Amino acid sequence: MNSMIHVEDLTKEFKSYSSRSGLKGAFRDLLTRNYKIHRAVDSISLDVKPGEMIGYIGENGAGKSTTIKMLTGILTPTSGDVLINGMNPHKEREKFVKTIGVVFGQRSQLWWDIAVQESFRLLKKVYNVSDEDYNSHMAMVIEALDIAPLLDKPVRKLSLGQRMRCELAAALIHNPPLLFLDEPTIGLDVLVKLKIREFLKELNKQYNTTVMLTTHDLSDIEALCERVVMLDEGKIIYDGSLSQLKTSWGEGKQIQFHFKTPKTRDELIRSTGQQLVVWEPGENENTWTANVTNDEDIISQVIGEVVANHQILDLKILETSTEEIIRNIYEEGIIHG
Amino acid sequence: MNHLSIFVQYVGQYIKTRLTYRSDMVVEIMSDLLFQAVNLIFILVVFGHTNLLSGWSKDEIIFIYGFFLVPFALFSTFFNIWDFNERYIVKGELDRILTRPIHSLFQVILERMELESMFGVVTGLAVMFYAGSNLGLTISWYDPLLFILFVLGGALVYAGIFISLATISFWSDSRTDIMPMMYNIGNFGRYPVDIYNQIIRYVLTWILPFAFVGVYPAAFFLDKTEWYGYAYLTPVMGIFFFSLSIFLWNIGVTKYRGAGS
Amino acid sequence: MGKYIEMIRIRFLMMLAYRTNYYSGIIIYSINIAAYYFLWSAIYGAKEDIQGLSVIQMTTYIAVAWMARAFYFNNIDREIALEIKEGKVAVELIRPYHYLNMKTMAALGEGIFRLFFFSVPGMFLVSLVFPLQFSANPATWGFFGISILFSFVINTQINLMTGIFTFFIFNNDGLMRAKRVVIDLFSGLILPISFYPGWAQSGMEWFPFMYISYVPSMIFSEGFVGQQVWNALMMQGLWCLLLLVPIQVLWVLAKKQMVIQGG
Repeated sequence: MNSMIHVEDLTKEFKSYSSRSGLKGAFRDLLTRNYKIHRAVDSISLDVKPGEMIGYIGENGAGKSTTIKMLTGILTPTSGDVLINGMNPHKEREKFVKTIGVVFGQRSQLWWDIAVQESFRLLKKVYNVSDEDYNSHMAMVIEALDIAPLLDKPVRKLSLGQRMRCELAAALIHNPPLLFLDEPTIGLDVLVKLKIREFLKELNKQYNTTVMLTTHDLSDIEALCERVVMLDEGKIIYDGSLSQLKTSWGEGKQIQFHFKTPKTRDELIRSTGQQLVVWEPGENENTWTANVTNDEDIISQVIGEVVANHQILDLKILETSTEEIIRNIYEEGIIHG
Repeated sequence: MNHLSIFVQYVGQYIKTRLTYRSDMVVEIMSDLLFQAVNLIFILVVFGHTNLLSGWSKDEIIFIYGFFLVPFALFSTFFNIWDFNERYIVKGELDRILTRPIHSLFQVILERMELESMFGVVTGLAVMFYAGSNLGLTISWYDPLLFILFVLGGALVYAGIFISLATISFWSDSRTDIMPMMYNIGNFGRYPVDIYNQIIRYVLTWILPFAFVGVYPAAFFLDKTEWYGYAYLTPVMGIFFFSLSIFLWNIGVTKYRGAGS
Repeated sequence: MGKYIEMIRIRFLMMLAYRTNYYSGIIIYSINIAAYYFLWSAIYGAKEDIQGLSVIQMTTYIAVAWMARAFYFNNIDREIALEIKEGKVAVELIRPYHYLNMKTMAALGEGIFRLFFFSVPGMFLVSLVFPLQFSANPATWGFFGISILFSFVINTQINLMTGIFTFFIFNNDGLMRAKRVVIDLFSGLILPISFYPGWAQSGMEWFPFMYISYVPSMIFSEGFVGQQVWNALMMQGLWCLLLLVPIQVLWVLAKKQMVIQGG
């Protein structure tokens, strides 16, 4: 029982009503309404060990935010158990939130009108952090996020990237062992993204901080997370390592050939056979893509056969991107894995 | 004690922000004064046509109004939550509040306080002293103590009612226009309750007990002995209604649905 | 024109969507009017009439004033101010309609909703309990109808002006609050204008406020009769036209301001 986050059969239902159309419908709605129960999170179970960085992914409306909000004590679950740091988030909310940090990419934690450092001071009081702890810990955070020059500026004057770095620092004032990041890099440019990723890695290394991250940007996950949890319609459809996901879902590699002369599918099949390769036409008659399984022998065999029979100008080996994998999973549903 | 130091910290920030927008502060105090003047004008105009209101004289009514202004000022300073639904529920700002280790209502109060409204205490006291001296009232040693007690009780009654109304938003995020109307009903607690019929008197005493923010406690200082019982009840009603509202709030928070998805 | 009517319909639907609001509103309105009834009964005491109004006329006056308020009252000044602050006005301006007209139509939709589903049932409830005096004369009802329409226009024009002011004074809350207080007091909502001392009355004649509430309430409670009604309606109409001038001026200035600040 040494998990940081322990979730069992967690479910959240929302009751919503549908309105009837038109004026007449609206009047009928005054008297009676049609209720609908929508299950946003559907009995999910999850264990996270201290120091893990896990990526929580899913399409819009898959239930990511709802889960995060239940884990942070904002929403009360309809049923199921949550135990984080040995505490029940919504039952002991005030004690519990002292042990977590939360960053919502689309919502500011900082006070709009006052300077960043004033917000920090206020939060330091709110979290009851001692001066020594604050000084030693925040010095590192401020340094690593490079926000020292921003501290005396009011939040409304900051750019999005600057603000996000300050938000992150604000969430870490009490040096929590667990950090929730909900879309932290939304709308940020590449440089800021890189800086934030570097910082999170550093934080994880230095303090063994557990990080749970939701994002639409899979490069965040690739850069940070060993483990991904994938959600679809409120259910977990994959929970495991990212590399495992890639091998079992990656469906092999693609070899892109650029031939000197136009080719037909038949010509190519004649030289490679049909067992190992699926040929796909490219942009023009000179380019073709061979889809093969991810096996070194097969790849070199295919390349050998093609090169032996045809003149080529260029060739590229492409790995299926995580994005494509995820897209495939959502399009095709669970087939294997 | 931690709450107190956080409160002090928030007040500090508040003052800093306000000093950067000084003109707002002046405008706000002016509009408060205007608002207080309107009610006074109402009383003055009405008494231009009559001498007694069910046996209460003009100065007595003005005195009640002066008293009312003091707890009302405290209330508007700290419980400025009439737009709670829009600000915290619809826009989802409560998410942020709920990730912090302080009671959520306390945080909302800290974020929404408007210290300028405290100016109403001064106006209220001035009106009371003006009316009191016309009436020849004398002050005993215990009067200031009871005054403070009654003022706190009254402010808590007001707070209790409005917090309870705010908690409705946890269950139904629909817009409500109840709050502004409720401010209006609050005004009726400033007139002697014996002018109303049974039902309204009952409502103003036990259901929406605005009478405890005006006529009942003020009657004590006007030496209306027949109302002393109700006057002494003021702090009790305050604590009861405030506790009730906290209780409702705590249940409401567990029903919070969050904004968006 | 079609798009403006659509706007009225949409607002109407929006109002219907909030049923807690609807039910609680009727109850609170009734309590409010009831309390005023008793307050005025106490003020009258044994007196037959004050300033030519009997107790029953007075309570009718107050009830009608509040019910009419449901029709003309709106928060478009706050809406405009909010849209300016959040920078949404720029988006509104590129849409193919006149921003101010659209806001007015939205307010009208709200007003019509409140009039039929709020004021009328509310009035019915109140009249069961209290002795109100409804005129049997259809002309009175007709004049009242025209009059509250004018009230709506004048009140909305004032709201538009205070709303537009946000372009010039960014934090406009104080002004908007002050406006509300002034309208409550000088429109005749809480006190008939005839109750004020003479000098105050003659001062108020120079402002449009009394044409918002005092005139329709007096028409309905038949405090105004004959030529008085016609005069009052003419003055209302005149103010509607007169107020167009400052709105237009402010709007032109505001658009210039927006070009400079970039919305």
